Formats: sequence, C-alpha cells, structure tokens
Amino acid sequence: MMSRASSIQPPRIAAWLVGLFTPDQETECIPGDLLEEFSYLVSNSGGPFARRWYWRQTVTTIAHLFATGFRIAPWSTGAAVVGGYLLGGFVHGLPDKVLSAVTDRYLGYWSHHFKAYMFWASDGMWAAHLILSVFVGCMVALAAKGREMVATMTLAIVFYTMVGVGYFASVGKHWPLDLTLSWMLFQCSGPFAIMVGGVLVRTFRSAARARPSGA
Amino acid sequence: MSAKLAASGLESIAESLLPTFLYNVEIMSTRDYLGEFEHIVVLALLRLEDRAYGVTVRQEIEFRTNREVSIGAVYATLDRLETKGYVKSRLGEPTPERGGRSKRFFRVTAKGLAAVNRTHYALQCMTKGLDLVRS
Repeated sequence: MMSRASSIQPPRIAAWLVGLFTPDQETECIPGDLLEEFSYLVSNSGGPFARRWYWRQTVTTIAHLFATGFRIAPWSTGAAVVGGYLLGGFVHGLPDKVLSAVTDRYLGYWSHHFKAYMFWASDGMWAAHLILSVFVGCMVALAAKGREMVATMTLAIVFYTMVGVGYFASVGKHWPLDLTLSWMLFQCSGPFAIMVGGVLVRTFRSAARARPSGA
Repeated sequence: MSAKLAASGLESIAESLLPTFLYNVEIMSTRDYLGEFEHIVVLALLRLEDRAYGVTVRQEIEFRTNREVSIGAVYATLDRLETKGYVKSRLGEPTPERGGRSKRFFRVTAKGLAAVNRTHYALQCMTKGLDLVRS
C-alpha cells in the first residue's frame, strides 16, 4: 500500500508550473513542501483528493509568487516590462517593412506567383509575428533575471488588455464575426508567444543551475 | 508648605508614570506593526519552535484558524518577515520523501518577538472596553 502511494506522482503540469514561478532561493523548499504534503495526502486521503489539493495549491501559490515577484523588485521588473513593450512596438513593425521592400524589389516575380505572395503576406507574416514575439519574451525574461515569468506574464497581460480594449472600442462593432475571430487569434497569439519566450529562458536557466550540483 | 507638598506629590506621580509613558512613547513611535497574516505566521513559528518549516507552518495555521492556506502565501509572508529581520531561516538536510529537496526552517528573532508584542499591545489597547461578544 505504501509503495503504491509513494509511486503516485503529483500532476506533472502543475509541478512544472510551480517550478516556473518559484524564485531561485526557493526552488528547494516550495516544490519539496508540496511533494511532502502530496505524498502524505495520497496515503491518507487517496490519489484523486491529493491531486485536486495539489492543483488548488498550484493556482494559489502561483498567484502569490506572481505578486511577490513584483513586490520584491518592482522597479527592475517594471523596467523589463516597459522595455519589452517598446521593443515589441519596434520589432512588430519589421515584417511589414520587409514585406513592402521585398514586394517592391520583386514585383515581377510576385505578379507571376500570386499564391506565394498571399502565403507570405498572411501565414508568413503571422509566423514572423510569432517568432518576434518569442524573441521579445526572451529579451524581457533575460532582463528580469529570476522573475522571468512575472515579467513576461505582465507584458502579455498588458497586450491582452490592449487587444480587449481594441475589440470593444472598434473591431467588435464594425467587423464581421469571421474577420473578428481571425483578428483576435492573430492578436492573442503574440502575447502567448511572449510567455513562451519567458518559459524558454526560465527552463534554460533552471537547467544551467541544476547542472553543476548534479555533477 | 502645602504648595511644597503638592509639588512633591506631583513629582512622585510623575516618577511612577514615567516608565509607562516612555514605554508607550516607544511603542507609538515604532509604527511597524505586523499585518494580520504576518501576525498569524509569527505565532505559528513561536508554537512550532524548531520544527517550523513550510509544511508544518501551513498545517498549523490551517488547523488553528480552520482556513485553507497556500504554501505560496506562507512563503511570501515568511520572505517579507525575513526581509524585515523578524525571522531567520536555514536549510535542513535533503530528505527522500521530498524528492531529495531540503527543508527551510524558520525561527523568530528578538526583533520579531518585539514586533509581536507591539502588535498585541496595540490590539489590546484597541479592544479594551469593547464588548465584542455582545456586538
């Protein structure tokens, strides 16, 4: 019975999320405390109850760690977010400029390959938008050392708020539903890609930190 | 003669009240009281003594206040208290039931104890004379 209880692991996604938000000085204690209580609950109240408890703890713990990240270093985190906002504004204009330059330069080619032009102008632009958003997320995460997820999530929330305001201010009133949905998808993928950038930097940093102690 | 007596009487009253007055001035001048959850966490640390780490603190609060507390809230508060110098922490040995991770033990400092007393005194002063049960 004991071995069966100890073989049940906490939800992997929840444990991963906690690891993303846990500050460097608490990478030992917070996941360790959660695992210790989870093991205790598995043997006393069963796996499903323990898993539900772990998810509840994950959500509330992340909320607290997010708030604490800002409280500990409000200026440096805020500077990283503002820097990311400005960088985002700069780099997101680049694909349009590149497209215009390429279109002007190879006008003859595009006129014979209109489908390729359409692909580049729609899917290609979207891909460029996503890649640049990941880049912005990585830069913000690198600047906000130790609070990668706090900074990138804040920037994503700022952009999501702007998308929401834009929708209610004009798009939702005037555009047809299908166009609105594709606009929303395009606009919302950027902030999500920013968070992906934060996750990438955080994961690489955690792996780099774990390497010397594991050796 | 009577004026002299009155003066000496006043002097003795002043002398007897002086320590209380100074204590009150000291308490009033130090505005750093503990917040509600900080207060609860420090009291949990005092109860647990050398067994105080994340799990035990969280369970102690849950058991005594009958409210679910997240481990993140406990650590956020403990970190804040440590920054203020009210608690100190040390890492314990890694244990297998924690996946080889260490416990972080906490203890209350003298400054933390003074802050608890200050907060208690303020609460006592505020509740004195109030019929809380009836109200």
